[in-house]
Amino acid sequence: MTVSVKVQTESFDPGALINSLTGRDSACGAVASFIGQVRGGGDLVALELEHYPGVTEQALRRIAGEAVRRWALGEAVIVHRVGKMAIGEPIVFVGASAPHRHAALEATGFMIDILKTQAPFWKREHTTSGSHWVEPRPGDDAAAAAWLAGEKDLTA
Amino acid sequence: MALTIRYFAALRDAMGTTEHVVDHIPGANGEALVDRLIARDPAAQALAHPSVRLIVNDEIAPRSQSLRDGDTIAFCPPFSGG
Repeated sequence: MTVSVKVQTESFDPGALINSLTGRDSACGAVASFIGQVRGGGDLVALELEHYPGVTEQALRRIAGEAVRRWALGEAVIVHRVGKMAIGEPIVFVGASAPHRHAALEATGFMIDILKTQAPFWKREHTTSGSHWVEPRPGDDAAAAAWLAGEKDLTA
Repeated sequence: MALTIRYFAALRDAMGTTEHVVDHIPGANGEALVDRLIARDPAAQALAHPSVRLIVNDEIAPRSQSLRDGDTIAFCPPFSGG
């Protein structure tokens, strides 16, 4: 049961991260992952992410740790970038290995849903006409709340 | 007797600073701190919005939490990572 979290400015290779989760643990029959990447559209030129150093890593460790505990994962991995990113570049990788598929898939969904509302990251969009902070989507809170129903705030 | 105040993202833009130090008033909580910051600078009204979270010494804390000398209080707009 391993937890690995990383916040970094440099890009990452999603394939290499998936490979790092496969074939490592003979008790795990499933690996699932989610990759978030910069969505183009409108006049977007680049996306910039700010975070709260130290607090972010602590929040990610708690989220991954909670996923490992809830779904008895073999491994949970979260890699999140900060700084400026171009359209199409990866922003976040979330992955889990588990004995069975449902655990790996659910744990992956849990980690990305919770991360969106519980880890101190902020997105800023740079467009051809200026830049602005991104408001969270109303659905983000609902997705996290569904997982946390009746549970304590993970970062509290 | 001092508190370190930090601002992130849109709140940093609103306050025009990343960090500053204010006197600690014994017994004051997060709510009282916000009131005091608004009295100093009307821009701090943005801190009163219920969606703003306080992180006290690296832990999310309710506004009702009493502050202690030496605390670092970060004001955070809603998170938008992922």
